[in-house]
Amino acid sequence: MVSLSEKNLPSADVTPDQLEQGSSLWHDAWARLRKNQLAVAGGLVLLVLTLLCVGGPWFSQTYQDQNLDLGATPPGAAHWLGTDTLGRDLFARLLYGGRISIMVGLVATFVALTIGVTYGAVAGFLGGKTDRVMMRIVDIMYALPFTIFVILLMVFMKEPSEKLDGWLRGTLHLEGLQGVGNMVLLFAAIGAVEWLTMARIVRGQVLSIRRMEFIEAARSLGYGRRRIIFRHIIPNVLGPIIVYATLTVPAVMMLEAFLSFLGLGVQPPMSSWGALIKDGAEKMEEFWWLLVFPGSVFSLTLFSLNFLGDGLRDALDVRASND
Amino acid sequence: MRTRLTLLLAVATLLGSGCAKKEAALTANSGSNPTPRKVLHFGNGTEPQDIDPAIVTGTPEYRLLQTFSEGLVSEDPDMQIIPGAAERWEISPDGLTYTFHLRADGKWSNGDGVTAQDFVATYERMLNPVLACQYAYMLYNHVVGAKAFYDGKTTDFSTVGLKARDARTLVVTLTQPAPFLLHAMNHYAWYPVHIATVKKFGGLTQRSTAWTRPGNYVGNGPYVLKKWIPNQIIVAERSPTYWDRARVKIDEIDLYPIELADTEERMFRTGQLDVTNEVPLTKLAVYRREHPESVHVDPYNGLYFYRFNVQRKPFDDVRVRRALALAIDRESLVKNVTLADETPAYNFVPQNLLGYRSEHTFKADLTEARRLLAAAGYPDGRGFPRADLLYNTLEKHKTIAEALQQMWVKNLGINITLVNEEWKVYIDDQHSRNFQFQRAGWIADYIDPHVFFDLWETGGGNNDSNWGNAEYDRLLHTALGAPNNPARYAIYQKMEQILIAEMPVLPLFNYTRARLISPRVKGFYSTPLDNYPWKYADLAP
Repeated sequence: MVSLSEKNLPSADVTPDQLEQGSSLWHDAWARLRKNQLAVAGGLVLLVLTLLCVGGPWFSQTYQDQNLDLGATPPGAAHWLGTDTLGRDLFARLLYGGRISIMVGLVATFVALTIGVTYGAVAGFLGGKTDRVMMRIVDIMYALPFTIFVILLMVFMKEPSEKLDGWLRGTLHLEGLQGVGNMVLLFAAIGAVEWLTMARIVRGQVLSIRRMEFIEAARSLGYGRRRIIFRHIIPNVLGPIIVYATLTVPAVMMLEAFLSFLGLGVQPPMSSWGALIKDGAEKMEEFWWLLVFPGSVFSLTLFSLNFLGDGLRDALDVRASND
Repeated sequence: MRTRLTLLLAVATLLGSGCAKKEAALTANSGSNPTPRKVLHFGNGTEPQDIDPAIVTGTPEYRLLQTFSEGLVSEDPDMQIIPGAAERWEISPDGLTYTFHLRADGKWSNGDGVTAQDFVATYERMLNPVLACQYAYMLYNHVVGAKAFYDGKTTDFSTVGLKARDARTLVVTLTQPAPFLLHAMNHYAWYPVHIATVKKFGGLTQRSTAWTRPGNYVGNGPYVLKKWIPNQIIVAERSPTYWDRARVKIDEIDLYPIELADTEERMFRTGQLDVTNEVPLTKLAVYRREHPESVHVDPYNGLYFYRFNVQRKPFDDVRVRRALALAIDRESLVKNVTLADETPAYNFVPQNLLGYRSEHTFKADLTEARRLLAAAGYPDGRGFPRADLLYNTLEKHKTIAEALQQMWVKNLGINITLVNEEWKVYIDDQHSRNFQFQRAGWIADYIDPHVFFDLWETGGGNNDSNWGNAEYDRLLHTALGAPNNPARYAIYQKMEQILIAEMPVLPLFNYTRARLISPRVKGFYSTPLDNYPWKYADLAP
């Protein structure tokens, strides 16, 4: 019946029928997003960067070959972005590091987003005792000192992670995949802290809309809780979520550098943008390029994400579109 | 317009008053004293735990204790033994009895005379099991009966070989000869404390009492403690009672606990520090280029090495250990990575330590390394099992590990995994032998090659490699009984041969200490122990 009515419609204009379907939300949003030049530019930059990081290393030099006698050299013809103190090509390291950073940024943010939004929306919508218990759990997790948490995680997960690596190496002969256990731990560590703030934000938003008329309407139509939360509440709080998510990505990337430094996550000679920046910041007075290039790429990513995020928020804000 | 003028005026007044104050202070100083007061500003690394020799363990504390106290003997800038609180001493022909004669003019900073009873009482406190002093082993490893007293088997201190014959004669009796004992005695474990003061503030068995506070503290060294503001400054002033006070030239030493090398460097640049504790590695090159007169890099009595766990695969095979050791370009490592003029180590003792020179060294040899690896069953690194290199979380260790990792890939075809842990976890894993191979370093507490051989004794407290060799242990004990140093050193040469053949650890380089020293500081000596005989230093006006 639904598909029938769609076929009969000549265009994608807003009609009551389609609002009920909820499909026009995304279609509309896409149309609005395309009109926002900054957001489109941001998206394109992100796309190009991702493609470069994924495909680039096949054409560049390797990230691990050292030339100790060469040491740190400024940008030149042989090494476009110069070399680091161990004589490794910075351009190659930037591309390889980007793979890690982008992956961590996207996966960890997605994990945090999924847990945080669901948790916050459920707590906010149900309210009462459930809400109180759920939010106290969040408070307790907040109170846990992060560094200690990470060190504990490493101590207890060291053996399982090593076993996984041994299995990958011994049984499957996939030496390249070594360290996967460590990466999973990294996601777990980041995911375990990043969703907390998200849950609080979403709960606050949900509290402000759960008494609104359209929720009452949905309730009176006999919709179940699950349907109300995922169909009506979450789309209405998407704005702040998306803005916060775009802020989470760079935060997660820097967190990864910190965790890798503590021994969780990527281990040398592999690197990431956060690790490159940290390294460059220590050496910037002597070797400026070690900070400038990773820093620029990182900022560019951050800006693009923010523009895209802003565009998405404007495009997806259902209440604004109803005006 | 008007506001701007007032602002300008205000600034001018502020500047003016600032200058005037400074000048007033200067004239006030020179008024009371015909020569200007000499104040040395010194970066001392971290805030000291304490200045009680029975409590402390670190180098910043070592420097402070050398400032405020003096042992029986002392060392000159060339590390030769010179008289300290004792003016002369005799050693019995069997090397077991040391008789020290204290000087008559030896005085504590409160005017009391320094007596042999003070030393005995200090050592009794040091060995008291209740106090649980970390460095007590510096005494009980050598002195008759000291171990039993420390273990609580007896409470009668007269059974211990530390006795005061009279107020100015101290007799020390040893269990076995220790040819390096006088050098070991310049370590603060042997320094005296003013027992009456310790008793007055909290008693002999209390840790960290108020006796080391300024005003309370009494010492017998060239300087007295004048001020101590935690995390800010410690002010040491020339002692009026020190026996050799005529030699002490600097009136005041201000010691600042600054942990960040970058902060120190900034303070040095603005003239707030005369001597820094470190130099940021990345700025070393800049200083060498622009201010070579300020850069001082001195050898440091320590070895940086990788420790193998000889009970874990693949390092249970001596061929693998040797292959790894031979396949490293140490010259390139110190020249391009560590950057502070460290000397590459092809043996196990820092070179020229008190006249000891290793005759047996190994050298980097790729063909031999590959041959050894193939013989161990891993030709060209094929089939080499996972090997984790454990290091504690620090940028420098990481960079060194990365450089070596790549050398082994390139030269031997083996891929090492790097694992880093926070210090406490790392130390825990080291002592429980839960590692395959790990970064380590050893800084000697006193200057004698014995320190570096003692390390690898079977079951030794710091020998966490699980390695042991009966012949080596036998030689270690024979060496102590050797009639003189050349004979003793000849035995050490043999022991080094064993170490090279067995390679329980992989020596990388010998440490250096780099610091910035203002040209106005004269006669400043940094010894290989990273301490400073203050009385030889002076300041140009």
